Amino acid sequence: MRRQVPYYAGLALIAFLALFPFVYSANDYDYIMHIFIIAFFYAILASSWSMLAGYAGQFSFGHMGFMGIGAYTTALFCHYFYLSPQATNVCTEFQFGDTWLVIVNPIGVTSTTLTQDCLSQALAVWGGAYEVTPMPVWLGIVLGTIMGGVFGLLIGLLVLRLRAAYLALFTLGFAEILRATISAEINITRGQAGIELPKLFQDGITVFGRTFSSTDKIPPYFAMLALLLLCLAILTWLAKSKFGLFVRALREDQDAAAALGVNTTRYKVLVFVITTMMAASAGAVQAHYIGIITPNNLFLLQMSLVVAMAVIGGVENFVAAAIGAIIIEFVLEMLRNSFDIGGITVDMTIWRLVIFGIILMLTLRFTRNGLITPVIEYFTRGHVGGETVAHRAQPADESEAAK
Amino acid sequence: METPGIFWGVISWMIVWAVLGSIITRRSYLKRDLDTSNATFVGAMMGAAAGPVGLVPLWMRTPELTKLLIVLPAIGAVTLIAAAFAFADPSNNCVSNGSFVASQITNGIIIGIIYGFMALGLTLIFSILGVVSFAHGEFYMVGGMLVYYITVVWFPGVSPLIGVLGSCSIAFLVGAVFERMFLTPMYKGKIDRPVEYGILVTFGLAFTIQYFVQALAGANPVKARRFFDFPRLRLPSADDAWLLKTSRGNLTLFDTISISNPRFVAAVVCILVLLSLLYFLHRTWTGKALRAVSLDREAAAIAGINPDRMNMLAFALGGMIAALAGSLLVQAFSWLPQVGNIPAMRSFVIVVLGGLGSLPGAFFGGIIVGLVEAAGTGCIPNPQKAASYIPAYGMVVLTLTLLLRPTGLFGRRFASGTHGKF
Repeated sequence: MRRQVPYYAGLALIAFLALFPFVYSANDYDYIMHIFIIAFFYAILASSWSMLAGYAGQFSFGHMGFMGIGAYTTALFCHYFYLSPQATNVCTEFQFGDTWLVIVNPIGVTSTTLTQDCLSQALAVWGGAYEVTPMPVWLGIVLGTIMGGVFGLLIGLLVLRLRAAYLALFTLGFAEILRATISAEINITRGQAGIELPKLFQDGITVFGRTFSSTDKIPPYFAMLALLLLCLAILTWLAKSKFGLFVRALREDQDAAAALGVNTTRYKVLVFVITTMMAASAGAVQAHYIGIITPNNLFLLQMSLVVAMAVIGGVENFVAAAIGAIIIEFVLEMLRNSFDIGGITVDMTIWRLVIFGIILMLTLRFTRNGLITPVIEYFTRGHVGGETVAHRAQPADESEAAK
Repeated sequence: METPGIFWGVISWMIVWAVLGSIITRRSYLKRDLDTSNATFVGAMMGAAAGPVGLVPLWMRTPELTKLLIVLPAIGAVTLIAAAFAFADPSNNCVSNGSFVASQITNGIIIGIIYGFMALGLTLIFSILGVVSFAHGEFYMVGGMLVYYITVVWFPGVSPLIGVLGSCSIAFLVGAVFERMFLTPMYKGKIDRPVEYGILVTFGLAFTIQYFVQALAGANPVKARRFFDFPRLRLPSADDAWLLKTSRGNLTLFDTISISNPRFVAAVVCILVLLSLLYFLHRTWTGKALRAVSLDREAAAIAGINPDRMNMLAFALGGMIAALAGSLLVQAFSWLPQVGNIPAMRSFVIVVLGGLGSLPGAFFGGIIVGLVEAAGTGCIPNPQKAASYIPAYGMVVLTLTLLLRPTGLFGRRFASGTHGKF
């Protein structure tokens, strides 16, 4: 009976999350919904990162970079590609039957107005006679996901045949390069000014007879929640399958796994590609939800937050990591208010991050499984005592030698 | 660039042959059951430098890969890239202007010495603890920040020497305390996977320090004064100072090479500290013990060395070296809590290029990366983009190293301890 508690609790949590937007009706409704959406976004990142780090033992500090690849792919796609019923004769264009695929020429933020690209010129000439169709948002998200996977594959093939530290080193640099590139290529990405994206449901959406406008929080809430549940389902399926067994085996002892016939590099690359695709899809959906993406909201701080969330939740259990991410996102938001002690203003927007850094290190040091995994294990382990659960052999020889 | 076609044509020709060379050379060496550890590198470089002319004899005869055979094709490939660039863009500043080139090379070496020095700390930590410290950039940042606070805010007008010494000793203490508190369980077998723990916990330290400093110091850039001004010197004579000319902030050699005061001072101090560090490592008991632990942990323990204490010393020393690099460079750049990210990345590039855990490798790697960055910033036609891509040059070097020779220039295998396990 007690073993089932986490499953019932999980179901109750999902039911709560599904009902929450319809039940809750306080003044700060939009704000709370926004935090939930961002929390789901972080939950996807933290759980996929914990699959990579906790299950496979591969540490990537470029998770936010892959998120950025997804977001920028869909941003650029939606920004530069249009379908037109008539040739513009100014832009680069390709004809498919009756429609033309128009590629808008890049103009930077340096030009006097931002609306002098070739498509606007063509539209001005037509004077409303024809209308162009923007690309569908879902296609951008799919492309972003694929692009994240492609980059993950390339980097994985390069680095994952080496030892664990190289992946961490390389991905950290990769994220930084990505940021530098996006900031420098002002003509295409608009640099630090950021690039605008259409909303997730630009024209509104009607579900069960209720019409939502593009700024309503409920559709993106459920979109992000669905993506989170999809990612968790995929991760669960992977972890329970033979794949998960192989991946855990190569985490514990790569040489032994290889000796037993596991193609270690292939499985490492596979798990890396899957998790980067999850990060990229989360990034794409979140960018469409926010409506703008800049190179600054990508990288290092966000990466540290994802690591902190996954570790505090429990890096070896992706459900715990996801729950940890949601809780921490709420705690971080609550800690936003600065306060005064004896005339000194304490700027909590920075201090809360310091506190989280310290909690991160203490969690690592004292409860390696995080703070939420032990709670889940307390139930799933049932009445079985801790010592009967398999212990890993301690490298006794070394500590002996040290003395 | 006037005729980019030539340049990109040559580059793609080189890439095609380098890829072919790296794959097939390894195969052909493997087929004859020869040592393949250098085959990929030599094949790629031979392909890039000489194309089929160099590759075919290599595949046919599979000679023993001596040092000469490793170095010559690499030099050839670099020369070929430079020549293609010169033909494609003859009016570029770094082709037509000899004094600019000399100045770039000298400054590249000078800044490379400082980079190498900083990477030395990282490689010292790795060779003894087997942990890549992701907090290295934060030690660098803290070093500079402390010098600013000591010499400008807390005790205005105090000698910069005291500032540097103070920041180094504080960084040493922070490193030692952190190692005692968070890294000790790694060696006691309390952690299942010590490498991953090391990566995560140093990453957490980096995160904490960075925001701690930002919370205390704010996010505005600060700048320390130059440590001291050069005396006015004109050699050989005051009227015709072609050999050496100094002003307060600058030093000019041969009328062409101009080196700014802060970088010159930093490089000289780095070399001095490096020499004393070498003396310490090779001539004192503690230094010898450190090297012994990095070679073989258990044998060192049998010989009466306490490896745990050496771990603490190594981590503290490595952090202190980064802090020293930062405290010397704070007079050259303006300082922010985020300033450590890019130097940290550069140190990672350098230690991988030099070989993880190799001390001379870190130093040569630093000079190579300094030169590559100088070439990149000096030669790319659009100077604004050239400056924003500074971190990318290091990443190109890192990618090539990982592709062709993952062990780095001076890579070595580790005998025992935590090193062998990952």
